[in-house]
Amino acid sequence: MKIDPSFIWTAFVQLLSAIPTTLMITAVSVSVGFVIGVITALFRLYRIPVLGQISTAYVTFIRGTPMLTHLLLIYFGLPVIIDGLSGWFGWGFKSASIPMIAFAYISFSITAGAYMSEVVRSGLLAVNRGQLEAAYSIGMTTFQALRRIVFPQALAFSLPNLSNSAIGMLHGSTLAFTVSVVDINAKAQIVASTNWKFFEAYVAAAVIFWGLTVLIERLTARLEKRIQLYNRGGVA
Amino acid sequence: MFVGAPFDFSFVISAFSKLWSTLGITLLIVGGSLLTGILIGFLIAFPRLYRIPVLEQFSKVYVSFFRGTPILIQLFLFYYGLPELLKLVHLDISRAPVLFFVILTYGLHTGAFMSEMIRASVTAVDRGQVEAAYAIGMKGHQAFTRIVMPQALAVAVPVFSNMVIALLKDTSLAFTLGVMELTGKAQTLGALTQHFIEAYLALAFIYLVVSFTLEKLLRAAERRLLKHEQSDGAERRKFRIERKPSLRAMFAGIGAEKGGAKL
Amino acid sequence: MIQLRQLSKSFGRQQVLKSIDLTVNQGDVVVILGPSGSGKTTLLRCINYLEKPSGGEIAIGDYRVNCSRASKKDIHTLRQKTAMVFQQYNLFRHKTALENVMEGLVIVKKIPKEEAKARSIALLEKVGLAGKLDAYPSQLSGGQQQRVGIARALALEPEVILFDEPTSALDPELVGEVLEVIRKIAKEGITMIVVTHEMGFARDVANHAVFMDGGVIVEEGSPAELLYHPREERTKQFLKRITPEPSYSI
Repeated sequence: MKIDPSFIWTAFVQLLSAIPTTLMITAVSVSVGFVIGVITALFRLYRIPVLGQISTAYVTFIRGTPMLTHLLLIYFGLPVIIDGLSGWFGWGFKSASIPMIAFAYISFSITAGAYMSEVVRSGLLAVNRGQLEAAYSIGMTTFQALRRIVFPQALAFSLPNLSNSAIGMLHGSTLAFTVSVVDINAKAQIVASTNWKFFEAYVAAAVIFWGLTVLIERLTARLEKRIQLYNRGGVA
Repeated sequence: MFVGAPFDFSFVISAFSKLWSTLGITLLIVGGSLLTGILIGFLIAFPRLYRIPVLEQFSKVYVSFFRGTPILIQLFLFYYGLPELLKLVHLDISRAPVLFFVILTYGLHTGAFMSEMIRASVTAVDRGQVEAAYAIGMKGHQAFTRIVMPQALAVAVPVFSNMVIALLKDTSLAFTLGVMELTGKAQTLGALTQHFIEAYLALAFIYLVVSFTLEKLLRAAERRLLKHEQSDGAERRKFRIERKPSLRAMFAGIGAEKGGAKL
Repeated sequence: MIQLRQLSKSFGRQQVLKSIDLTVNQGDVVVILGPSGSGKTTLLRCINYLEKPSGGEIAIGDYRVNCSRASKKDIHTLRQKTAMVFQQYNLFRHKTALENVMEGLVIVKKIPKEEAKARSIALLEKVGLAGKLDAYPSQLSGGQQQRVGIARALALEPEVILFDEPTSALDPELVGEVLEVIRKIAKEGITMIVVTHEMGFARDVANHAVFMDGGVIVEEGSPAELLYHPREERTKQFLKRITPEPSYSI
């Protein structure tokens, strides 16, 4: 079996059709994850009883276990829960009718949520307490202070970490093939085994992911410049 | 879509003990990959730290590739692709054990992250330390091993800790190449007994226990390495030079997580 | 004795040191004054090759180094004959005060540990830090750290000690204790080159003063001459700026 460089291009073209799927999975998990992250971060920061502890347990559990494990648990566990609830409440909704990709969406969002929670939390903690005090002293309500003073600064600070998390989810989306979702990775496997050209297909897949990753990083860099982060410090 | 056998909690316990025996393989992969990764990390960081012309560019590309592509793709790429590539130079490794490819790939992957960690922790050591070492007549290698490295090490431990735990979680992907590590074993157990959820709960629990233990151990190591940084109370105020924020915060920006494909 | 001949240093196209000639005799305490950017710190750092000179010659005792062809051995020898006290102290953070002083003795001069320890303890006593042998730099005040730095330099018994603005980073109330120590060792006849802004020190302790500006030595002489009877215009300008004007307030 010889290496066929021209096939890399052929594979590349065939893989293009799977890019939207990968991007969708990434986008959904990052957005929903962000919302989950903000909510849980606030629960933890303000030490809200019960919800705060649940949030911490959630984050610890997710961060201490592999993303694949989450996917497997959701894939096998969620239908049981849904069927159980469906029977109980008489919804007439069977888990068999859930599309495969939904499992990916749900599981990856849960995964992303925990990592985002940490990012949001450290971003909020990084904002000097004095900022909040100053906001109060000019008469702002907590909500206004958070929205106009704290969150923007926290966002600026966490931008690199948010970007890294997004990239992490992009790379993690390759797990979707285990639940029969045709993302770039799954497509690459199909192309590879159909044509018996594994190396070329995976090189093409790698290049696509590499490109997407660099794109995200360039965008982040531009965003950073616009928010004018001249006071970031650190070594990264 | 199937539901399997009815939920049985006692099975979680028995699955746990069955999985425990496979822990060795997972830890073997982690250990092997770490060793390989540290070696590669130094090799790759070296040209960038010392600004060696061509090799420096190569290092940048290497790091960008291994941090910019998913580990799963890398696993497939090297497993299927490396034997083909090496055939071109008349090397036949197609009969090498899967574990070899697995540890190699994880090692290359981790190496990229390690090199960034090494770079950042070495540059974080205040230049004045090196100058003082030279000023008392130390040679280059003495200054590095006795003065720079101990301090760089202490700063690097939190990042290293994150990397080890990330590596532990990444090993769960090795089953796709047929390696019978924890996740693979759990899947087999589930399929055999139809008690999938129980098997995976046990799996999650094992990962939690191991990552928790690793984190505790590394944090203890960090405390020992940093016992010289005892700035407290009154001393801190008179202490003019260092205004560094907490070391952990300082390194949050490195991203032991994904990303860093910047060229 | 230290001799600098035609010492030059450029950073890119900017020439920071322009053919400096300077002679320092055994037992001299030389003070180098000048505005920032004058090159005085660069000059000091060239002597122990923390900056690489672009040209010229450095001689310490009988050892001559041609800066355009300096070998690794030359640099290493220069560093062994000199010692430096830094503005930012630069104590080894992960070692105790005692270990900091011992490091050079044990590793560079290859002196057995026991003897090195004894010598180091004596030196730390001399600088007044006998009670802080096992303290880490992070537990010491700035003044204490600098005194350890001086002890570390003394331990090496160098032919000259180079002081790079030793008190500039200190809180005002700590400056005194460090100057005291420097005064003390100056009295013992150790050759010193000190870059500083402390005029009082220059006047009382130094026996030779040098004024630099724009990369050249503008004027040199005894401290009394330089400070009170400067000949050059630039020197006068500089002194006027840093000597506080007497002020009468209503």
